[in-house]
Amino acid sequence: MRVVLAEDNVLLREGLVRLLAEAGLSVLSGVEDATALLADVGRHRPDVAIVDIRLPPTRTDEGLRAAREIRRRHPGTGVLVLSQYVRVSYTVELLDGGADGVGYLLKDRVTDIAEFTEAVRRVGGGGSAFDPIVINQLVQRHAGDDDPLHTLSDREREVLALMAEGRTNQAIADRLDIAERTVEKHCTSIFTKLGLTASPDDHRRVLAVLRYLNA
Amino acid sequence: MLATGFLAMGVVAWRKHPYSRVGPLAGLIGVLALVEPLIAGPGRVLAACWVTVLIHLVAALPSGRLRTPAMRVVVGLAYLNTVALATPLLPADLGKEFGTLVEVLLGAAVLGVQWTRWRRTSVPSRRSLTPVLAAAAVMAGLLLAANPMWTPDASLLDMSALKVGLVAVPLAYLATELRSRIERGGVADLVVQLGGDPEPASLQAALAKALHDPTLTVGHWMAQARRYVDADGHPVTAEGTGRVATRVDRGGEPVALLVHDPALLEQPRLIEAACTAAALALHNARLTADLQVRVVQLAESRRHVVQAAEAERRRLERDLHDGVQQRLLSIPMTLSVAETALASDAGRARALIAEAKDMSLAVLDELRALSQGIHPTILTERGLEGAVRELTLVAPVPVRLVVDLPGRLSAEIETTAYYVVAEALANVTKHADAGSAEIRIERAGDRLVVEVVDDGCGGADPDGSGLRGLATRAADNGGLLHVESPAGHGTRVRAELPCG
Repeated sequence: MRVVLAEDNVLLREGLVRLLAEAGLSVLSGVEDATALLADVGRHRPDVAIVDIRLPPTRTDEGLRAAREIRRRHPGTGVLVLSQYVRVSYTVELLDGGADGVGYLLKDRVTDIAEFTEAVRRVGGGGSAFDPIVINQLVQRHAGDDDPLHTLSDREREVLALMAEGRTNQAIADRLDIAERTVEKHCTSIFTKLGLTASPDDHRRVLAVLRYLNA
Repeated sequence: MLATGFLAMGVVAWRKHPYSRVGPLAGLIGVLALVEPLIAGPGRVLAACWVTVLIHLVAALPSGRLRTPAMRVVVGLAYLNTVALATPLLPADLGKEFGTLVEVLLGAAVLGVQWTRWRRTSVPSRRSLTPVLAAAAVMAGLLLAANPMWTPDASLLDMSALKVGLVAVPLAYLATELRSRIERGGVADLVVQLGGDPEPASLQAALAKALHDPTLTVGHWMAQARRYVDADGHPVTAEGTGRVATRVDRGGEPVALLVHDPALLEQPRLIEAACTAAALALHNARLTADLQVRVVQLAESRRHVVQAAEAERRRLERDLHDGVQQRLLSIPMTLSVAETALASDAGRARALIAEAKDMSLAVLDELRALSQGIHPTILTERGLEGAVRELTLVAPVPVRLVVDLPGRLSAEIETTAYYVVAEALANVTKHADAGSAEIRIERAGDRLVVEVVDDGCGGADPDGSGLRGLATRAADNGGLLHVESPAGHGTRVRAELPCG
């Protein structure tokens, strides 16, 4: 899998390049600002671009804007946004163009190499990877006693959260140490209880769940 | 001399009080007195009716109007009597004597009524009545003494004495007018006096003295309460007291209310001069008071800013020392142990490394929370609108957001506005039991208006620590915070911040 990386902190950038290479990913270039990122993505057409939100010159949201630009210009390139903080509003912005090939994770996640490279591969393969913190914030909004989310069992809520993060049924089954068939049953039940149309496509499923949570 | 005196009085009264009847009446007396000697025969009787007009004048003093029905009856009778005298129904001599007697009695009645009024009336009214009444009394005395009924041999000399006595009436009137002019000069002293000492109590005393009305009350306009209050804060009004209220305005804005004796209305220029002086003094007093309040506010908020900065530095130092530094130190310690264990027990070494990794992530978390506490990072990344949008997205109730801002504002105003919304929304979540909320952020002239409204249970305490902290934060930035939270009718938190 081919990767282009934008991170302005040189230590972190070098660390990420090494970490991804060790995991067997091919890092085509590591740049420090959004302009160079857009140029390199145009040139290499990588499977995935990993982008830090705060990039020069103002170090505010250049990375986020570059990520949206890549999604607009190069639909074949997945975008994984990294940040010291995760925001619901940024998630909503990134989902603007659908949930295909998009991810948004807290920077801390890079320390779990297996989880992180799995997320990179997912996004590069057209899937999605959303941070558990964002999903948790979205779920918290449905705190009202009369919210349909309350009709879900604890296990169903676990499955819902993992689905929203962008995981496949197989990954959810592995994580929860249950059979994939059981996960499928939970999914059907969740979609029925929330009144959502079930979709066999994992990618569309993420968008449906996230839109439901964010409504 | 008699005619000249009354004509002069008429002219002065006419010029000074154009709408009063005093001038025309006095002038009429002057003209009648002038023409009387020129008319011979029975016409003299008609001409002598100036005595009746004089009775009318004395009865109508000082305003020029007949104030009671009794007065109107007496004056009417006097005119009737004059007409009767002019129409010889009775034998001439008897008629004349009887008529004169009636005239004298009516004159005495007028004097009696005015005397009673004088005794009952207030000091300012007395001052304008006294000289004329005294003169009229003298005149009446002379009239009685010279009446042919009692002294058939009354000589021409007595008649001249009577006329000389009568001159006292216009002279006394002119003296009163002169004095009121001098009193307006006294108002100039008032201006000087008030200039140095705008205390409410001394203002009232000075005005009472200048206007010769010891009962005068000054009401100070309270713009917020929209009413007049005295120096002790009690409401001041003229209603139901039989007294008159004169408003003192400056620049179209109410400043004060003078509640005084109605008699002062007869000296409009005196009132006017006093009002001008009072308005100036009160306006200065208010500006001074406003400035004093502002100075106190500024000193208070400056002290607060310094204190808050100091407290914030202490908190940061404590958090860094007790949290981050200790945790960071434990990471290399754990790694050292892992290093030693590596050769002998690889499994234990791996567990220790995992522990060190978890510790470093915990430090990262703590630093993140710390920097978030110092300054909301999303404000840096996205400005006020983006930061507030994030707040609405994580709020557990639906929040409508209306933002109308031309661009970025100064960092401190954005931060203050952000905290207003954050705290208000936190209250909506924690206490309001609301179904929905609305946030409005817009510019109104040189002010940024931030409003958070919910449809919850209301009853929020503006003196609670959260809202109080916000009010202080707003004040420190030169703004204001209003909280409306009637029980059962939702809560409205509104901040106005300067952003010019």
